[in-house]
Amino acid sequence: MTAVPAPAARTRGRDAARALAAELSKLVSLPATWLTLGGAAAVNLILTFAFALAGLRGATGTTSAVDIGLASIGYTQAGFVVLGVLAACSEYDGGQIRTTLTAMPRRALQLTAKHLAVVIVVLPAAAITAASGVVFATGVLGDTAAPMTPDRVAGALSGATGCLVLTTSIGTAVGALVRRTLAAVVVLLGYFFVAGPLLRDHTPVARYLPDSAGFALWFPAADEAGAVTPAQGALLLTAWAIVSIVVAVSAYHRRDV
Amino acid sequence: MRALAAEVSKLASLPAAWIAAAAGVLVPGVIAAITASSALGAITRGAGTTAGIDTGYQELAFGVVGAIILGVVAMSSEYFTDSAESGGGRQITTSLTAVPSRLRLLLAKTAAVAIASALLAVAASAVTMSVIRVVLGEHAPALGTGDVPRLAGVVCYWVYTALLAFGVTVLTRHGVVPLAVFVVNTSVVTVTYLLTKITPLANYLPDMAGVRMFIRELDVGTAGIGPLAGCLVMTGWVAALLVIAVVAFTRRDA
Amino acid sequence: MITVDRLVKRRGSKEILAGISFRARPGRVTGFLGPNGAGKSSTLRILLGLDRATSGTALIHSVPFARLRDPLATVGAVLDGSGAHRARTGRAHLRWVARSAGLPRTRVDEVLEIVGLTDAASKRVGGYSLGMGRRLALATALLADPEILILDEPVNGLDPDGIRWIRTFLRERAASGRTVLLSSHLMGELAETVDDVVVVDGGRVVANGTLEEVTGAYRTLEDAFFALTTGGAP
Repeated sequence: MTAVPAPAARTRGRDAARALAAELSKLVSLPATWLTLGGAAAVNLILTFAFALAGLRGATGTTSAVDIGLASIGYTQAGFVVLGVLAACSEYDGGQIRTTLTAMPRRALQLTAKHLAVVIVVLPAAAITAASGVVFATGVLGDTAAPMTPDRVAGALSGATGCLVLTTSIGTAVGALVRRTLAAVVVLLGYFFVAGPLLRDHTPVARYLPDSAGFALWFPAADEAGAVTPAQGALLLTAWAIVSIVVAVSAYHRRDV
Repeated sequence: MRALAAEVSKLASLPAAWIAAAAGVLVPGVIAAITASSALGAITRGAGTTAGIDTGYQELAFGVVGAIILGVVAMSSEYFTDSAESGGGRQITTSLTAVPSRLRLLLAKTAAVAIASALLAVAASAVTMSVIRVVLGEHAPALGTGDVPRLAGVVCYWVYTALLAFGVTVLTRHGVVPLAVFVVNTSVVTVTYLLTKITPLANYLPDMAGVRMFIRELDVGTAGIGPLAGCLVMTGWVAALLVIAVVAFTRRDA
Repeated sequence: MITVDRLVKRRGSKEILAGISFRARPGRVTGFLGPNGAGKSSTLRILLGLDRATSGTALIHSVPFARLRDPLATVGAVLDGSGAHRARTGRAHLRWVARSAGLPRTRVDEVLEIVGLTDAASKRVGGYSLGMGRRLALATALLADPEILILDEPVNGLDPDGIRWIRTFLRERAASGRTVLLSSHLMGELAETVDDVVVVDGGRVVANGTLEEVTGAYRTLEDAFFALTTGGAP
């Protein structure tokens, strides 16, 4: 049953489309995907409520609904990182990795397709999470909210969405590299929540690291010279995501399963 | 007693437990080195004065990450499923058939986690305080008798946090959620700290109360909870959670 | 056709495969027999591109597995367990595999019918018994109706009904001109199913030929096996 050889480019395109379809199907049919996204969105609303209450009391430095609405994104990020890790590490449950690699033996293609599938699923979820936070904050703050420009809102929302999506991709890459859910979660969350912020306080170089770059995408920027603008932050974080994916794919390509 | 020995042996032979130990010692040590050297820089430049009263203790508050990992993996390792070719078994089955009384098993595990995290806290404190002294030299705050209750507070806090993480893992039967929640809450600006901005009741949350056992300068304004009261509050939380965990564990299917 | 030529695999200082060579031909069921730790699974994993060999080749239609144009339509593999994530339903698992090969959703129901899992398809794989998991793995392998079937310990976990069913199924597939390679350490069952036998022990092939040739002067395949190998895992 040898088929007539099709031109290589067309086969690769077809394989890529199929791999993407398979990875999307996998991600969507995994209950943990929806539990994590739902949990992250819920936690985001709860924390936004807390921040908004603090804002009503004047305890926050600002009354902008955008800033308050997005203040919890830093914490919600944790849920998205966990999702990224699960997307990669769930392969190692029940021996599914063997099924995946016998169905899609082109490993680089398959892992890249997985990352793309994660982005496709997370993008709307992140946008909804960020937007719901701002809307909720606007509702709670009511008249006390400072006026917002559409530019600021659009910029902050797209920045927050971008930050969440790129951080999730880094989570998937690290998960694929490390292969154990708990280890990847500890390393990533330990970096983003403990090591990263401390480095940020003590060395100026730390502003180019992924957590600070992500922050710069949506957090109102300080006016000091050398601060990272949202655009620069986006470029930096994208670069970090690409580097981590490349490292993960190269390791994946060579190793025994 | 045999059950306790078995649980200690299990924990000691778990690679993840040693990684937790390494994290518990390295994290506060490295952070202490960084903060101390930047404080030294400020002092020599004449910008700052002496190092603050919480030097070393603040770093140990971060190092509790190691205790968290320890508490989580002590229980989550029971629920890892073997690959199906090995029959898809989980260690919990072996544990429950080796020690049929579930209460005894859980108590033994709790004790093992408490002992291990206490030892880890002692080691971490020793390392952190030494690093501070080495880096800051003469500018380091002197270690006096007033530090003894504070260091005891550090050990207590670490043990209690490990037990809290352990208790939650007993309930969830996997490690991801408790690990994520507790690690995120160890960050520089913890969620519970933010909640204190909204309501002073948040000062009675376990970590906010417990941290008063050794941190003197807390930026929370009004609530006047002393170290002893903080210890009692945290004890209450730990006891309540462990009771719930025991009830759930003894009643449900494995 | 499967061709394995002087396959060597070393992990650290341990030599897992010390030069395995054999062929599995179309129209025949080839049995890969050996004690635990002999290198059967390692060979199959290298054949399927899961592990890398230190030297030697393992080819399917003269190309390595990773370069097959339509892997699922060429080779169906049944390895350990169910090969599925415990939280998914059987049907969801088959669906994503079907998508990876560009197969229509109707094919999923067809293979479920073949292995007899239609009733359990909407249940989580985590709740499957050992036998049901194995049948799911077989269903996955059959999705694209491949010309080659590679099975690692296929009867492991099946009840007597399932064992007889799979023996008949594999023989039918070989009879229709397809290739079947299966590994096992259950001699009695293997002797009922295979045409050709490859016996491995300690990473080496110790016998290779038709069932009659390998059984030779011994009464049963089992006797021949024990005579040929060191008699079990250390």
